[in-house]
Amino acid sequence: MEKQALDIGIVISTTGSYGAIGQSICAGAQLAMDEVNTDPATPFKLRAVMKDPGGVTTAYSDAVQSLIVDQKLTHILGCYTSSSRKEVLPLFEKYDALLWYPSHYEGFETSDNVIYTGAAPNQHIVPLARHLLNHHGNRGWLVGSNYIWAWENNRILREALMDSGGAVLGERYFPVGETDLGLLAEQIVRDRPDFVFNTLIGDSCYTFFRLLRAAAEAAGIDQPAELPIASCSLSEAELPLIGDAAAGHLSSSVYFSTIKSQENARFTASWEQRFGHLGHACADAEAAYIAIHMLAGSIARAGSVAFADVRAASRGLKFSAPQGLVTIDPENLHCCMRPRIGRSTSAGTFDILYEERGPVRPDPYLVWASATQSDTRLGPDHLRVVP
Amino acid sequence: MKSAVKTNFRGLRALVVHADDINRQVLASVLRKLGLIVDLIDHHEDHTDHDLSQYDVVFVDADLNNHNATRYCKLPCIALIGTEAPSQLTRVVRQGCISHILKPVRNSGVFTALLLAVNEYERRQQIEREITGLRQRLAGRRTVTAALLKLTTTEGIDLDAAYQRLRADAMTRRIPVEEIAREYLAQDPCAAGTAQCLGAENNVHRSQTTTTNRRLTK
Repeated sequence: MEKQALDIGIVISTTGSYGAIGQSICAGAQLAMDEVNTDPATPFKLRAVMKDPGGVTTAYSDAVQSLIVDQKLTHILGCYTSSSRKEVLPLFEKYDALLWYPSHYEGFETSDNVIYTGAAPNQHIVPLARHLLNHHGNRGWLVGSNYIWAWENNRILREALMDSGGAVLGERYFPVGETDLGLLAEQIVRDRPDFVFNTLIGDSCYTFFRLLRAAAEAAGIDQPAELPIASCSLSEAELPLIGDAAAGHLSSSVYFSTIKSQENARFTASWEQRFGHLGHACADAEAAYIAIHMLAGSIARAGSVAFADVRAASRGLKFSAPQGLVTIDPENLHCCMRPRIGRSTSAGTFDILYEERGPVRPDPYLVWASATQSDTRLGPDHLRVVP
Repeated sequence: MKSAVKTNFRGLRALVVHADDINRQVLASVLRKLGLIVDLIDHHEDHTDHDLSQYDVVFVDADLNNHNATRYCKLPCIALIGTEAPSQLTRVVRQGCISHILKPVRNSGVFTALLLAVNEYERRQQIEREITGLRQRLAGRRTVTAALLKLTTTEGIDLDAAYQRLRADAMTRRIPVEEIAREYLAQDPCAAGTAQCLGAENNVHRSQTTTTNRRLTK
């Protein structure tokens, strides 16, 4: 008997300023769809209806409007930046549709129309801040692109440094796309912080890595060892774009392609076979892969594609992902994920330096989590670890 | 002094006064996600059971004429507004609501309203304390002036010296100058004997001369 086909909207920018990440996200979704569709136990087939907003924020609403209203779709995998997500949220709320959002973000949102399959702030910036304080010191230089992602992460890190008696030696923001960062790199080398925290994105980020490495070398400093750059979003997809200076940088992520598990071995093998030309698998690709599997699982569990049924079925749903067991938190619809700290290698991958003991519950409003563990007000509840 | 803006509301106790509908359900669920402890009551329920002092923040339905509402202005109060009619909004102002949420209540917006209310209330409390302090000092000024005048006559010193004496006393005993002034005034110099009273009268002339001399030397 022919399986029933279900159309799933995919609104991801595979062109434009962050097109490279978008292509990885689509690839992750594609791998998951193929697995769902060839699994004899699944009573339906997923079919992707793709839209490419080209990285233009306003184009996202047109894309979503057309999928929800004209094509009557209820489930859409989409968005990478927070601005694009905020742009389309009212449409999802108005039409009772569900957005499967496959990216880490800065938190402070819990929409009932979104399933968040990327890391929440307590799963990326909080573990990174803790790692920096424990292993590198408490004098930081903060550099970012001038928008919410950078502002919010810097606020969290700044508070952590202040709490621990440290200092912010400098904090600068640049327009997205700015590459005139030579003077900044020299300034940072002169200030000699314990670490640089980077929230620049795209070309600004890649240029900055190269310039800081060069400025450090000119001053006789071993940059990766003495002046490390730490980021919450640096992924395998971006390392080739940094070029010669790609190795030795810290990144906080719930997924690295080098994780050793059966699930990841299978995932990376299919990835290399079909999408090797995009570089190694990365966190956003895995988040999209998780989103599609969770969507299929929720539909199967609900026996329906209706918005409320699928959302109800998704609460508490588990999936053995490449990063390990992932569970959708029944309360806030974010995912329990396992934080890790990696250091980039010249091979375009990350060595995993540190990982949580297990998946950590998502805390999008940072009610429970804080970077400074010594803060007794947090009590033993802090960073609740799901058994 | 600028104090840090509060962004974490874990453990705060919230009272929601609203009929049990989807608005109240959404609001309560978001507040619990934010780590608050939430009590829910209908507007017609007996409020006497609810000791308001145990709450840190209160959410009130602005679409009803709530007779208990004035009691809430002792807390950070957030209005839940359905109809934006002047009659109702006037009530919101009178109740001293310092933040609001428009109905239908959505997940987004609650955190903002709460953050504004808690921090703005704290700022208002601080201003209120400052005003009370200033009012007390203002009321005390008459007493201080009277005490200074009395000192100049009884002790034969000038106004500056009298003020120095008051301040020194206040500082040693760690009480406000106004308080010391009140004590000075309460002591009736004549009760201690006529001699002192006479002496005091003599001092009047002396003090006047000294005052003049002092002023000239300055």
